[in-house]
Amino acid sequence: GDALLPAPQSISILSTNMKHFLTWSPVIIQGATVRYSVEFQGEYEREYANGSWIPISECSLTTATLCNVTQDISASVPYRLRVRAELGSARSPWGTTEGFFTRAMTSLTPPQLRVLADGHHLLVELADMGPSFQFHVLYWKKGQESRVQQKVTREVSSVVHLDTMEAGAEYCVKAQAHVEAINRSSSFSPTQCVRAQGDTSLWL
Amino acid sequence: SGELYCSLPNPRNVRFESINMKNVLHWSAPEGTGDGVFYKVKYAVYGVGKWIRKPECRNINRTWCDLSSETSDYEEQYYASVKAFLNGTCSDWMETTRFNPLTDTKIDPPMVSVSSTDRSISIILTAPEKWKRSPEEESISLLQVYPGLQYNVSVLNKKTKKRWFFSISNNTLVVPWLEPGTAYCVSAQIHVTTPVLDSGFSK
Amino acid sequence: GSCRVSMSMAEIRAGFTAIKANIQSRDPIRTLSILSHPHSLHKLKPSDRCCITHQLFTFYVDKVFKHCRTEDSFVNRKISSIANSFLSASRKLGQCREQNNCVCGEESTEKFKQILANYEGLNVTSAAMKSLGELDILLDWMEKSR
Repeated sequence: GDALLPAPQSISILSTNMKHFLTWSPVIIQGATVRYSVEFQGEYEREYANGSWIPISECSLTTATLCNVTQDISASVPYRLRVRAELGSARSPWGTTEGFFTRAMTSLTPPQLRVLADGHHLLVELADMGPSFQFHVLYWKKGQESRVQQKVTREVSSVVHLDTMEAGAEYCVKAQAHVEAINRSSSFSPTQCVRAQGDTSLWL
Repeated sequence: SGELYCSLPNPRNVRFESINMKNVLHWSAPEGTGDGVFYKVKYAVYGVGKWIRKPECRNINRTWCDLSSETSDYEEQYYASVKAFLNGTCSDWMETTRFNPLTDTKIDPPMVSVSSTDRSISIILTAPEKWKRSPEEESISLLQVYPGLQYNVSVLNKKTKKRWFFSISNNTLVVPWLEPGTAYCVSAQIHVTTPVLDSGFSK
Repeated sequence: GSCRVSMSMAEIRAGFTAIKANIQSRDPIRTLSILSHPHSLHKLKPSDRCCITHQLFTFYVDKVFKHCRTEDSFVNRKISSIANSFLSASRKLGQCREQNNCVCGEESTEKFKQILANYEGLNVTSAAMKSLGELDILLDWMEKSR
């Protein structure tokens, strides 16, 4: 029965931009399709619910060796996760993550943004990074690096108005992603500069 | 009055429909019943021990009942219930789910007034008011009800079809340096961060 | 005293909203409330807020969530999310109370006694499920008094 089925190995959590995935190495049984089930345990379960574990239904009897646990790692406490192999009625022992995972350990990448000048208007469009994110957008007139201005926005995938620009001047913009729930920010995106339309334009 | 033997099918889909905290109870007539059905309505404040009949909605044949006055305290939560009568028989009382005026209302878009010079537009936004019993009653802006209320403003250049977004907390916005002789369309939306409530965009 | 504690109200609110109808449908008692009657939280003095908020978070962590297990995996997962968020927040509130020496006024002490009495007045599963179903009463009060 169970003794034939080894526990999954190399169990680890990949977490980027607040999306958390549990991965493990496949259990190979010749000619058989091994399935896996995943459970999680937060600090609350350890300390107040007799160390109980909660199954993740999307990853019950899955043939994949990856499970999206983002929806369940949804508080700023240490979590543990475990996975076992299942073949027919046989169950392997549980393989459990080494140590604890806290979502503050996620790696944050700089946001992708597009900076535009539309006449005298400085605009930015930010790519969506998920519901946990807001963006700190810094902008300044080139040459006046000491007078940086900041705008905080959650607006994604649409053109956000930053400010109006002096005619003909060049403005630079960079942004970082911020996650309030873990109070952490990504590094800044590369700076992008655009030039405002000069006054010798057709509007005279 | 003693209750009759109730074998009539029940009213269906009994629910509150709320806009700016104008809280109206709606339901659908019992299955298979044509005209001639009458209804009674009662409501209860959650946690308080009694159901209260609504006299203005006693023996009515319409399928709605305005309970805005009875549910105007948005620090409370409510249940409402409807019973149907036809030809001497009746249905069971059919209840709503628990109604929380603060989180279960829909919010109208803000009022948008725009003025312009040849190169700029000035936008003034006004949040809708909470429903009130009479015009004389003091107005309460939804801004007072939802401290985290913000506005998302969209400005569309009709010539270039480019749309810009602004997120503002105060209710005025000036957009200078625009193209003279160009039509700009402004529309605005209310965004409450928590509880999460978004109005549609104004026309 | 005042306590500025960073907690993700939006996440807790989203988790509760996802299971609100399910949880409240398991509470048939319309005529009793754990949190809001006979006295509303909204009547409490601002100075008592820090203390009663910490007491309420501890109440939910210690007494409520563990008795709310259901047959529905989705609901259980959302309850776990809320419970772990409450645990994280209650720890921070506890530290804040100590640092700010948030004294519990007579009013909030009385109010919390009333809440415990309401809770003990029902069997534990009914009381826990009713308390969980009233989470928006707590969240509404916290957001309004922010």
